[in-house]
Amino acid sequence: MDTTEISNLSLTFLIVFVIIPVSLSYWFSLGLSKSIVWSSFRGVVQLFLIGYVLTFLFSIPDWQGIALWVTVMVLVATINASKRGGNIPKVRMVVFLIIAIIEVSVLALWLGFGYITFTADKVIPISGMVIGNSMIAIGLALERLQSQFKEERGRILAALSLGATPKQSSLMIVRKSLKAAMIPNIDGLKTIGLVQLPGMMTGLILGGVSPLDAVKYQIVISLSIFVSVAICAMLVTMVLYKTFFNDKMQLKVIDK
Amino acid sequence: METNSILRCENGSTRILKQLCFSIPENRITTIIGPSGAGKSSLIMLLNRLENLDNGTIYYKGNNINDYPVTELRREIGMVFQSAYLFDGTVEDNLKYGPSLQNKWDSKNADKLLDLVDLPSSYKLRAVTTLSGGEQQRVALARTLANKPNVLLLDEATSALDVNTTKIIEQLLERIQQEDDITMVMVTHNLAQSMRIGDFSLYLQEGKLIESGVTKELLDNPSTKELKNFLNIKKA
Ligand SMILES: Nc1ncnc2c1ncn2[C@@H]1O[C@H](COP(=O)(O)OP(=O)(O)O)[C@@H](O)[C@H]1O
Ligand SMILES: [Mg+2]
Repeated sequence: MDTTEISNLSLTFLIVFVIIPVSLSYWFSLGLSKSIVWSSFRGVVQLFLIGYVLTFLFSIPDWQGIALWVTVMVLVATINASKRGGNIPKVRMVVFLIIAIIEVSVLALWLGFGYITFTADKVIPISGMVIGNSMIAIGLALERLQSQFKEERGRILAALSLGATPKQSSLMIVRKSLKAAMIPNIDGLKTIGLVQLPGMMTGLILGGVSPLDAVKYQIVISLSIFVSVAICAMLVTMVLYKTFFNDKMQLKVIDK
Repeated sequence: METNSILRCENGSTRILKQLCFSIPENRITTIIGPSGAGKSSLIMLLNRLENLDNGTIYYKGNNINDYPVTELRREIGMVFQSAYLFDGTVEDNLKYGPSLQNKWDSKNADKLLDLVDLPSSYKLRAVTTLSGGEQQRVALARTLANKPNVLLLDEATSALDVNTTKIIEQLLERIQQEDDITMVMVTHNLAQSMRIGDFSLYLQEGKLIESGVTKELLDNPSTKELKNFLNIKKA
């Protein structure tokens, strides 16, 4: 690959780009200067750290690097996504299992079809994309599920009073939660490449890969992510809607 | 008035309700009155098991209600709430909800049900969002009647409506009660309403059943100081 190296010196000139929004913020008294500086700084440091971590992971035996980092990613994603689940019982356990199962299945498919080899520099970035997107979808699904159970309490009671089972009575809000979880990916797929080139494709093209080869990778990735997101959202809502009911088909009281 | 009781509660208690003993006469309208927060909604939801007793027993037609399959009990003991809580879609989508759960819906039923609540059959295809508050509550009533319940529970079902609409719905309820031999249990904070359509009444305060009896006697001649106070406050 004929990659253009970015020198450290040229990188520091990026500070100029940060100064512009900071000055604008001062000028219009937006009160954003501090967060612009802080998030830029944090982003840069975080990425450099990840760079070093990845360098290290790629230097140790592949299976060790993969096992270590995939575990870290699954755990971080679990903690992050479960936060949106508030006080749903067993939410962490369920989310962990779902993300882990999806990650292992997607990996098995990719390796099985020979899209990638079992090397850290391939498995880790791809796992990151699958896990990251699943995390966001699960978070959205959980958030919507919780708020819907609160907002739609009356209609669920009405459905139960008409003889519906918990499953039947929550069908409407399970659907809404699934939709909320999948809409970002559905919209993303519809306009893919037209508005914004996906990050990975941009990276590959900048790195010297031909656009068509980059496209093939992108198709495999986008579809894998889409399927993972759909399955994650379905599993998490189908498993967790039950926790809002007791075994007498009654809606539990939500304290707070 | 001699009647059988269709629902009976013995020593029932929950976190909110204490020592409940009462019976609901069959084919009559029983009203439950009392200050807000007294536990009226909690009590009525015990009857179709939307909530559970911690202690004691409720009998429906002589059998412990826990011995019925929950969904079957809820079909026999229907409920209408203060809000209509209609589902998204058309009026017919709502009417067929209960029967469809058992694959028992016949689209001819829609006309009958709408007729029962005095709505024209052209309303079938209306989106529920286009209906007025009173119309929505009638659709909610028809939706519950679609299950052909023996008992109808009403929790402040008219309190969100204006005076005229309330009276129209009351007449509707009385007619349905008489024509179809339905037992009604009606929570209301409206004493005049209780007087107009109640046969029997229960007075509830702070989770306790204070007094009960034939509505007119109870409201004209309360025997407890609690109910006397409540009636005085309401009059003032
Ligand atoms: N979901 C709930 N969680 C906690 N307390 C509740 C809940 N619903 C009702 N209560 C309490 O139970 C008592 C009785 O409420 P409710 O049955 O709604 O009374 P009413 O219908 O007579 O106004 C009230 O003190 C109320 O604060
Ligand atoms: Mg109430």
